[in-house]
Amino acid sequence: MSRQELALALPPGRPARRWRARWMSVPVLCGLAVVAAWLIVGLTVHLWAPYDPVMLAGRRLQPPSAAHWLGTDALGRDVLVRTLYGVRYSLPIAAAVLAVAVAIGCALGAVAGFFGTLVDGIIMRLADITLSFPPMLLAMAIAASLGPGLVNAGLAMVIVWWPIYARLMRAQVLSIRALDHVEAAVAGGAKPGRVLIKHIVPLCWSPILVNATIDVGQVVLLIAGLSFIGLGAKPPTPEWGQMIAEGASSFYHWWIATGPGVAIFSLSLAFSFIGDGIRDLLDPRTMQE
Amino acid sequence: MTSPIRRTALARLLLATALAASVGGFAGPAAAAEDTPIVVARNMDVNSLDPARGFCDTCQIYLTAVYDTLLTLGDDNKTLVPKLATSWEANDDQTAFTFHIAPNATFADGSPVTSEDVAWTLQRLKNIKGDPSFLMDSLASIETPDDKTVVIHTSEPNSEFLGILAASYTGIINKKLAEANGATAGEDAATADQADTWFFANSAGGGAYELDSYRTGDELRLKANPNYWDKKPAISEVIIKQVEDAVTQAQMLQTGDADIAMQIDPDTAATISDPEIVVDTVPSFNFLYIAVSPGAKGNSVPLTKPVREAIADAIDYEGMIDFTVGGKGKLQPVAIPNGFPGTDDLPMPKQDLDKAKSLLAEAGLSDGFTIEAHYPAVNAYGVDISLMMQKVQQDLSRVNISLNLTPTTFAVWREEVGGDGIPMTAVYYAPDYFGSAQYVQYFSMIPGQPWAKRAGVGKVEDLGNGEKEAELLKKAMASSGDAMVGAYHDIALQMIDDKVIIPLVSPDLVLASRKGIEGVRYSACCNLALGQLSRD
Repeated sequence: MSRQELALALPPGRPARRWRARWMSVPVLCGLAVVAAWLIVGLTVHLWAPYDPVMLAGRRLQPPSAAHWLGTDALGRDVLVRTLYGVRYSLPIAAAVLAVAVAIGCALGAVAGFFGTLVDGIIMRLADITLSFPPMLLAMAIAASLGPGLVNAGLAMVIVWWPIYARLMRAQVLSIRALDHVEAAVAGGAKPGRVLIKHIVPLCWSPILVNATIDVGQVVLLIAGLSFIGLGAKPPTPEWGQMIAEGASSFYHWWIATGPGVAIFSLSLAFSFIGDGIRDLLDPRTMQE
Repeated sequence: MTSPIRRTALARLLLATALAASVGGFAGPAAAAEDTPIVVARNMDVNSLDPARGFCDTCQIYLTAVYDTLLTLGDDNKTLVPKLATSWEANDDQTAFTFHIAPNATFADGSPVTSEDVAWTLQRLKNIKGDPSFLMDSLASIETPDDKTVVIHTSEPNSEFLGILAASYTGIINKKLAEANGATAGEDAATADQADTWFFANSAGGGAYELDSYRTGDELRLKANPNYWDKKPAISEVIIKQVEDAVTQAQMLQTGDADIAMQIDPDTAATISDPEIVVDTVPSFNFLYIAVSPGAKGNSVPLTKPVREAIADAIDYEGMIDFTVGGKGKLQPVAIPNGFPGTDDLPMPKQDLDKAKSLLAEAGLSDGFTIEAHYPAVNAYGVDISLMMQKVQQDLSRVNISLNLTPTTFAVWREEVGGDGIPMTAVYYAPDYFGSAQYVQYFSMIPGQPWAKRAGVGKVEDLGNGEKEAELLKKAMASSGDAMVGAYHDIALQMIDDKVIIPLVSPDLVLASRKGIEGVRYSACCNLALGQLSRD
């Protein structure tokens, strides 16, 4: 039964609202609002920010005040402005990393799951080896060997992340491959590539989408982590991890790390909430209720 | 029922116990002050505890405490005062130096310090080819006419040789004990000497302290030398605890877990308001600098003299002190610390943006250019080098020079700077002894010297004033007094004119200790003299 059929079958009014309420809860709405706010900030901050994010804005190490809401850092730069500019690095990189990791992971996972045997063995052992390392350590090792920089940090994260999606996709393909309509397509003489692309892959996206949404927050955290230890953004980039590293050396000037810390927290939590919401939305059990 | 006799005995016992307790109570604090260890919190950078191999700030502290040198520096950080040598003489051309060893000087095992130990130690330092071996570069031969007299000959005049012998790396080793554990001073010592590991667990000196134990990344524990021949140390045990960052060091001082911290940056120090902590800020001989290398492969434009001069003129030196150490530092005109021979009355660096712009315009670079800056991302003497380079970046952007900053690890930096070179870098330096020659030999453009090679002398034409500097260094090494100071002053002017090494700030040193700790003093040769510490 499709979603429209399900909606039609339900009595009008209350149940439909209840169904919406299941996924569109307060946390999800908050998450959406936070992400939307960050997106707007990221797109427009250069138009209205009162200071340049990398140049002197006032006296150094000033606590929060009317002129500098989150104070100034050791070089006299406005912490709030730098924090707001920071989203221009974290979000696009997280999106790019996940787009590439999902593309590579899903392609390999689908091939492994559909064709099986040797191809499956090679791809999955490669994924197992990658997943056997703690993600942060592996990302650090790769980023350190490639050299500091956001692009290299992004590459390192793609290498860390693709196996997760490869595994997910493979599991989905394996379960869907056994469905009647796929067997019917195969029996009807459809080519394997066509069966995979037309009849299997379109049904695999739910868990991938949920995972990818939640992972945005994780990637934002990991980018900040790599920058914190000097393997991500180069100074003076107003990247959140880099800013927290600068704040850590001026620990008693708490406001330097507070802005980027809250930013990372809000964005990670927001994507986590949205991910939960999408999972509820796509969960067949929720729909059956 | 208790008998009267028993009651009397019990009363006597109680009285005796009370008396003992009260006596103990009176004696207690004095004993406690001596027996309570002093804990120094610092980020240790120990590479070895062998005097001929170790080369670090913590090594200086350790070696000074455990190995007595022939001479040492007085409290003014300039005057040489006796230590193992009670008196000494130098010939007129500064090539022969005679030392008379204290007759009562002994090692920790009670054996006397002899001229043979001195000769063996210095020969070993030279032959082992370790990091501090350059100190003995000019050593030619050593005579030992008797047990307590040493005559050292240098291959060329060396007016700083006496100063070198105050460096902690020249601390005298118990030859017999060290040889029994794999040490050798022969010409093949670089490969034949096997004592490095032994020195990590044992010491063979005659200083105020002995090595008790060392655990890498944890602590270095020293115990007082019971047979010390000179003034005995007031504290029986000193522990140097590995504490990486300034904030934790400050917190340990506040909680009483540490007694002394010397690596707290001025910004953190300014936040300490605990009345139990004494914070003293003193000028240091340490400095941080940027280096511009015309010979580096990654240069986008030729870094000619006018371009280098424009870079130097574009920097806001006063602002640099404010931004890097909250104003707690000094300007330094040349890569020789303020107060060292030849540094008086040198022209102070100052920002001149108009001059910088016109120099760049003359060089056809008024639209600017990009320069790669790779540097070790560390905090040195309270200065975050990454922060310092961001300030340089801001300053240079005002004359359209774009600095591309790449922080890196020290190991990678070493490889880069020794390989293809780095167009612009930043790093730091601290003295090994009181004397200017070490700086000329490291920072001048004299062919073959470390920074001359890194900058590209020999690869790039007309780079620096190496020839003049070499001549003047010879003159300085062969003279003494005002003539020597004058020669170093002339070299300093040449080095300023090289515009390769541009000192940015000489940060003040924050000496923080808990109230009641006495003798916390910064020394140019020895960093911190543990033997002088005491507790109220």
